[in-house]
Amino acid sequence: MLNFTQTAWLIPCYALLGMILALPWSPSLIRKTGPRPAGYVNILTTFVALIHSLLVLPQVWTTPVQQSFSWIQAAGLDIRLDLKYSAITVGAVVLITVLNLLTQVYAIAYLEMDWGWARFFSLLALFEAGMTTLMLTDSLFFGYVMLEILTLGTYLLIGFWFNQSLVVTGARDAFLTKRVGDLVLLMGVVALLPLAGTWNYDGLADWAATAELAPGVATLLAMAILCGPLGKCAQFPLHLWLDEAMEGPMPATVLRNAVVVSTGAWVLIRAQPIIALSPLAVQTEIWVGAFSALSAAAIALAQIDVKRVFSYLTTTYLGLTFVAVGIGASEAALLMLFTYAIAMALILMSVGGIVLNNITQDLTQLGGLWSRRPISGICYVVGAIALVGFPPLGCFWGLAEMVAQAPLPLLAIMLTVNGLVACVLARVFALIFLGELSDNTRRSPEGLWALVLPMTILLGFALHLPQILIVIGVMPAWSLVAEPTSLLLTSSTILGATVGLLLYTHPLVSRPIALPSKALQDFFAYDFYTAQIYKRTVVAIVRGVAVSIDWCDRILVDGAVSFAALFTIAGGQGLRYSNSGQVQFYALSILIGVVLFGLILIYPFLGQLLTE
Amino acid sequence: MLTTLLLLPLLGVGAIALIPKPEHSRTIAAGFTVATFLWSLYLLLQSDLSGALQWQEYLPWVEPIGLSYNLGVDGLSLPLIVLNGFLTLIAIYTNGLKVERYRLYFSLLLLIMAGINGALMAQNLLLFVIFYELELVPFYLLINIWGGEKRGYAATKFLLYTACSGLLVIAGVLGIGFSGGTPTFDLAAIDLQNVGLIAQLILLTLLLLGFGIKTPLVPLHTWMPDTYIEASPATTILLGGVFAKLGTYGLIRFGLQVFPEAWQLVSPGLAIIGTISVIYGAMSAIAQRDIKRMVAYSSIGHMGYILVAAAAGTELSLLGAVAQMVSHGLVLALLFFLVGVIETKTGTRDLDVLNGLLNPVRGLPLTSSLLILAGMASAGIPGLIGFAAEFIVFQGSFSTFPIPTLLCIISSGLTAVYFVILINRTCFGKLDYQTAYYPTVSVSEQFTAIALTITIVVFGIQPNWLFRWIEPTTNVMAMMSSEFKVQSSKLEIETLEAPKLMTLDFEAKQTLNG
Repeated sequence: MLNFTQTAWLIPCYALLGMILALPWSPSLIRKTGPRPAGYVNILTTFVALIHSLLVLPQVWTTPVQQSFSWIQAAGLDIRLDLKYSAITVGAVVLITVLNLLTQVYAIAYLEMDWGWARFFSLLALFEAGMTTLMLTDSLFFGYVMLEILTLGTYLLIGFWFNQSLVVTGARDAFLTKRVGDLVLLMGVVALLPLAGTWNYDGLADWAATAELAPGVATLLAMAILCGPLGKCAQFPLHLWLDEAMEGPMPATVLRNAVVVSTGAWVLIRAQPIIALSPLAVQTEIWVGAFSALSAAAIALAQIDVKRVFSYLTTTYLGLTFVAVGIGASEAALLMLFTYAIAMALILMSVGGIVLNNITQDLTQLGGLWSRRPISGICYVVGAIALVGFPPLGCFWGLAEMVAQAPLPLLAIMLTVNGLVACVLARVFALIFLGELSDNTRRSPEGLWALVLPMTILLGFALHLPQILIVIGVMPAWSLVAEPTSLLLTSSTILGATVGLLLYTHPLVSRPIALPSKALQDFFAYDFYTAQIYKRTVVAIVRGVAVSIDWCDRILVDGAVSFAALFTIAGGQGLRYSNSGQVQFYALSILIGVVLFGLILIYPFLGQLLTE
Repeated sequence: MLTTLLLLPLLGVGAIALIPKPEHSRTIAAGFTVATFLWSLYLLLQSDLSGALQWQEYLPWVEPIGLSYNLGVDGLSLPLIVLNGFLTLIAIYTNGLKVERYRLYFSLLLLIMAGINGALMAQNLLLFVIFYELELVPFYLLINIWGGEKRGYAATKFLLYTACSGLLVIAGVLGIGFSGGTPTFDLAAIDLQNVGLIAQLILLTLLLLGFGIKTPLVPLHTWMPDTYIEASPATTILLGGVFAKLGTYGLIRFGLQVFPEAWQLVSPGLAIIGTISVIYGAMSAIAQRDIKRMVAYSSIGHMGYILVAAAAGTELSLLGAVAQMVSHGLVLALLFFLVGVIETKTGTRDLDVLNGLLNPVRGLPLTSSLLILAGMASAGIPGLIGFAAEFIVFQGSFSTFPIPTLLCIISSGLTAVYFVILINRTCFGKLDYQTAYYPTVSVSEQFTAIALTITIVVFGIQPNWLFRWIEPTTNVMAMMSSEFKVQSSKLEIETLEAPKLMTLDFEAKQTLNG
């Protein structure tokens, strides 16, 4: 059998090739064909990448293979791109390429009339290349590099419809927020090398096991490493961007929410040994995650923009991942990220199809679509069940393992979060599919085949998730279902969903449902006013400092120089009038000068001269 | 071998003067520039990577005052010479075809190339100073004749500042030459072992001030934004891309190499000044409303990294310093080129007026796309040359100056802030169809930008192709200076433990007492 592992480094390269091949279909280059071939080329390259990774997977199933390429080799620094092909990394690559392939097909329908295909598909390809490299690389340095490239990709993808002002600010905020996280991570990466001598995850783990660091250094280092994933996974206080990122096109949202943000958690899991060096960092990790999960779920409940609902749910799930990693349940976290990706992608595809031909993302303007959009409805229901803890579908297993290992306060938080998520999903379902038809939903057929096909394929994956988990051998024992914590988890799901459904469908409940206090409702609806807080603090400070430095630069620094120049000019002007134009006067001044100069020269000897 | 790099541009000037039709000046100038560039590339490929000076040429000239025609190149100067040829070629094809007085214009560009090559190759201090000062004349003319509205003001300011810089450097150079046993200005023969540390510090301070103006470092920088925005894009590319590099080149060649001992004393202060420049440049850029001014301030920030790296003086950081010179030259040239294109096509540089240039129908899609890439390269996004160089700077300087390095990393985040502002305002947004009737960007203009872009991307993906030419020389330099580090290690520890802002005087006193 051919060895596909030796050439597995090509997997990210296919995407890059697709990216380059898409360029000729940028506007005003190839006009005859329209922009569409750019999309088809990229679907092809992603398909090739998928096939290649599927061929590699069985070859590395039992024994991981490593590969290493030299990147920078200078002045004692040897940065190598170390790739590690193992069941888990190549499995993640398969997941990414499958999801990207489906997303690209989905985008054919979603962006049917758009002129920017070349840009869109090449950016999706950039995402794919960045993510697959991130999965395969075994080095924290390249982990940072890829996170940064994904940040750039996010910026450009959110800015895809750059005509709209909200899109532009959303792109800006996403880029800058994530950059903050990335740069703090870079500080950690730079500081780590002199200490650990390596960036390879295994080497770092070995080092961390025996490292003796001053507690202050360890804390700073661990916090710095933590910051990268924090920004990427949109955790508090760097969560704002994901909400604004919803201004981008839906296919990009599908990919981003399902897998791109999870890459941060991936780096977190790999770098956990370093974070574990500092108890404070671990506590921060757990509680930031818990707080993000809980509050994002609560905020999601108060959103009326359907895309924003799911952006906050993304923050919630990654918050749960943070908690799981913090309490040492990394396996469970990985399991949940895998199932979460499929469930979230399925839900978003279903919702996206509805947003596309009902022209609105406003939940209050939708309703009654179960009769019109049964396929989307079924997909939504299955995705929702797969997303919450409800056996036997996907996320139950990861969540159940998490809650089984969680200490009591975290257990309570996780159950609450799960209940809230179930309630949010039920609410969205009720508002979209149940209830009365509205003006926006009266005519709403299922979309183009390209919209429905990827969705139904994902539906199949979601339904078969337990089977898939068994095949790849990560399925926990069935007895987990009957554990007390799992029973609590399942009941919290049922409770949350029932409350959600009742609140939004029962004829006796008056709608729209409002919290008792308007202020409290707004507090959640406006995302704890985080945007305003940022505007008044960080943004104001940077702007203030910038403006004052600019003022100093123009007035003080340049002014001082100009003042000195003015003085010179004034001096010259003043002296001009002391010149009379008479030759005798000049001769006299020369004479005086010469005498003075001579006196200075003979000054040391003057005393001698006088005494003699 | 090396004289060719001087002669070819000068021959080009002669050819331009002789041709019957001035319209052909551009082609002639380009031809001679390509020849020079290829020759320097050939020398680069032939260099033996030993780190020592190569192809030295020596002719006694005015022996009584120690001036000799002494040329030589190593890994510090050769990459910059190649960059000089490349950017001159770019500059020749910048500015469309609407240049008046072809002969003078292209002759001046060629003279600048020859002068900068000469300064980079000179191994005699006086010869260096001659080239260093001669540069001012063509630049002054370029700014004053082909500049913008306030060109007279800018040109005079430029001349005054850089002449000051020249005077300080001359003073320093004369001091160096006469302070040794026998007066000599040949770099190889200079030995300051027997000169007192105080005298060394004074001489070094003169050079630091002189080169600091040229680089420019805060607070000696105010000539720079004014000059950059008034000069034509081609002039700005040469000013920012290579001319300013003479400042940092001088710092390393004549500061670090000639005063290894005194350098150890001033380096903490230099690192702080560099960090201040980085933050100051970035912060000032955020507040600008004029895109060219914004890019000009960004340049101050990026030159600050070079100073921090040079101050750290480790093998890695020196490599980073030189790589950052090349990287900054390429990225800045691309930025100024694109800003120049936007200005000529839209007639404005105002952030509040520009909008939606990424629009494929009426906007400038290719120019905007490349501007995004250039901004990202400058902001240090991986995969582009800016990141590779800056990362080496950070990693190299961290062990010596941890706090300044971390501050530099933070301010590379600020770099992202103003580039996002720039991109959001110019490229994104809604294009006003009522006013957007822009002339098309010509093929030659696009070609120039694409050539720069490809270089930036290729070196970003394969930085070793750049580093391998620089590394041997910087390794040797770091080794030489580390010998002095061991000698003054006691002082090192003191300065490391008290990383406060120390003025030169304070340090000098400390040395006197200790």
